[in-house]
Amino acid sequence: MPRFDTLRTAWMVWDVPAPALRGEVLDQSRELENFLADIERRAFRMAEIALRDPDDAMDVVQDAMLKLARHYAAKPSAEWRPLFYRILENGIRDLQRRRTVRKRFMAWLPGPKEDPDGEAQDPLDAVADGGPAITDILMQGQAMDRLEDGLRALPARQREAFMLRNFEGLDVADTARAMGCSEGSVKTHYSRAVHTLRGQLGEVW
Amino acid sequence: MSEPFEDRSRELFLESVDNVDMRVRSRLTQARHAALEAAAASTGRTWFARLGVWTPAAGVTAAALLGAALWLGLPGAHQGGPGSDGQPSFEDLDIVASSDESSGDALEMLQNDIEFYDYADNVANAGPAA
Repeated sequence: MPRFDTLRTAWMVWDVPAPALRGEVLDQSRELENFLADIERRAFRMAEIALRDPDDAMDVVQDAMLKLARHYAAKPSAEWRPLFYRILENGIRDLQRRRTVRKRFMAWLPGPKEDPDGEAQDPLDAVADGGPAITDILMQGQAMDRLEDGLRALPARQREAFMLRNFEGLDVADTARAMGCSEGSVKTHYSRAVHTLRGQLGEVW
Repeated sequence: MSEPFEDRSRELFLESVDNVDMRVRSRLTQARHAALEAAAASTGRTWFARLGVWTPAAGVTAAALLGAALWLGLPGAHQGGPGSDGQPSFEDLDIVASSDESSGDALEMLQNDIEFYDYADNVANAGPAA
């Protein structure tokens, strides 16, 4: 019964990666882990700047990681960064749209909604965990706060172009891929963003 | 070549990244692990699909080929099974290869019937009943 045996063997390996592919899958998994570990904190900060909320930022970063891993892990690793940021920027835009809708809806409801439990926030939540001296943090923190305020005041596309080009260091082509627009548009958005921010903050603030 | 303004912005941003607190770092690590698990699950399930042949049509074709191979490989099929007149019956093959919605996905049916094939194999290996 050689044909039957062959079929049984075929069934047994049905749901198991073929030996040649198994090593490839492991390498890819390791590469993906390195990529995500390298990018995650910068992505979180960029989302936090855009959304002004660490929990929302965490949600969109988590979602972007999952989507990249599920749908694009098999793509060449060189394509991961623009893909990841495209997913992330889409998530940020979706959340901002939902917030706008929610705000409009909430405007119909009467009464204040502030702090329903009447409890103040834990001051320890705002304390940084070690690191540089507190005065440095304060000075750098103030400068960063001003930059963040300036970024939030920019039109969304200019903010995206600035953060992807300057913070993440993507080149024009990858930024265009991440933003889903032409390279010319990226250059225009970025140049306008730099011009506006420099006008607000000075050359070195 | 970047300007001082751009250098300063990037420097501030990277410092703020370094100062991300431990709670956030921990949550990011958890998120990363969840993503890697999702990728592993997805890869394990679809390695075959990555070969580019795992379309529904290919699935039905594969099911039909498996059904045909099983039928031809069973000695009972040539000797005449229970209730058979000795002529090969294509009814079983039609059931296996069917992509009709009412009969369910053919491939899924094959996967569900793996115990049956094991049983059939044992019968085939045991030879004709005494």
